Amino acid sequence: MATTYIPTVQGTGVKATIQRIGGHLAGMVMPNIGAFIAWGLITALFIPDGWIPNEKYAALVGPIITYLLPILIGYTGGRLVHGQRGAVIGAVATMGVVVGSDVPMFLGAMIMGPLAAFLLKQIDDRIQDRIREGFEMLVDNFTLGILGAALAVFGVWGVGPVIDNVTNWFGDRVENLVDNHVIPLASIIIEPAKILFLNNAINHGVLGPLGAAEAADKGKSILFMLETNPGPGLGILLAYFLFGPKSLRPTVPAAIIIQFLGGIHEIYFPYVLMKPRLILAAIAGGMSGVAVFEVTGAGLVATPSPGSIFAYLAETPKGGYFGVLAGVIISCAVSMAVASALLGFGRSEQEEEEASDEELAEAQERSRQQKAESKLDAPAAS
Amino acid sequence: MATIAAADVRKLVVACDAGMGSSVMLASSVRKQLKGTPIEVEHTPVDHIPHDADVIICHAGLADRARSVVPGRVVVPFQLFIGDPAVTRVVNALKTGGTIDG
Repeated sequence: MATTYIPTVQGTGVKATIQRIGGHLAGMVMPNIGAFIAWGLITALFIPDGWIPNEKYAALVGPIITYLLPILIGYTGGRLVHGQRGAVIGAVATMGVVVGSDVPMFLGAMIMGPLAAFLLKQIDDRIQDRIREGFEMLVDNFTLGILGAALAVFGVWGVGPVIDNVTNWFGDRVENLVDNHVIPLASIIIEPAKILFLNNAINHGVLGPLGAAEAADKGKSILFMLETNPGPGLGILLAYFLFGPKSLRPTVPAAIIIQFLGGIHEIYFPYVLMKPRLILAAIAGGMSGVAVFEVTGAGLVATPSPGSIFAYLAETPKGGYFGVLAGVIISCAVSMAVASALLGFGRSEQEEEEASDEELAEAQERSRQQKAESKLDAPAAS
Repeated sequence: MATIAAADVRKLVVACDAGMGSSVMLASSVRKQLKGTPIEVEHTPVDHIPHDADVIICHAGLADRARSVVPGRVVVPFQLFIGDPAVTRVVNALKTGGTIDG
């Protein structure tokens, strides 16, 4: 288990730790993406600016984002820590921060859900052996009930207002970034982080909840598009298809379908990891895409997940297609051009081929070393 | 390095970060290739690999996490999601016998 694992100070250990923390955040949100999409579709259809405005159905919009979505996150966060009982108390505790604040409480839910479940787990572990036979159900229900009530009240009184401020602070910072036209710089961090499998942590752990708060306010958010744009990955794959090592080219068309249409971006990460300089293409593509989104005022109504072009089209608000499509196409063109240049337009094909053999051998050697290291980390492994 | 004889493998787990995207894809392709064998193929998030998993396949970038979740199990890292030799080796070993290292 995790307790036997001592992260190494540098390299993959830190990466694994960040991945794991981010994974917990994403793990609370990702199972609930369907609910976010339902909310996004309802919003896009029925709000006054929507496709078919309808006051009666638009009444769904507020309660879903204020109550349902944060509670689902708190519920899921609690379940990750302490199973079904954790899920229930996570939902109860989340209700406290929801009522205690004025903004959608995603951040609060991501804190209170797991925290409540953790506290309940501590209590359960301590009293489990002391319960007299026949009183298990009584004790179980009332420990959860009493602790849940206390945490909900504590949430309304103490936690909600604090997280209210924190959420607003984050929201203001993001707004500043957009206002000052520096949001494309986010790609410098996001694209390399994606390749290191931090994609879910970034998108679902951070950008998604912030975006949902913005979308609740303005009907759409650019934050949903920073990590999920399928354009840069498509550009890299196309460049690989034309100019990449010959032995890899046959795998590319299938990868393109899976990445661009299916939305599973992981499929192109290995192609970048094999030629790490291609990260520059991903960054250039990402930045130009975000710049176009920003200039055209593009946004989506919910997290497009998976990041497929179909999800993009389904979640574009009425009248927003031009900016969304332009950003995807331009980011693809830019990353393809840069990646093609970095691959030497296939000119140095022969050298590349040899080099890639060497790189492969090196990579294998590296992974052998890492394996040896990880055995040192976890002596139980041998 | 952990090793397991192919004949002893009952459950093979394909893991990815969220257990919803790439692992589902690779698991369904491996499951197809292993049709006719009694081996159960599952996909899970890398942090929730079940402890009765005999062989775990995951991307090299996630292998450290997989090993920390189920120390001592056979973790086979791969690079490519389509046609990776490491995955092919595992499938062949499971079909024709032999051992799997990881």
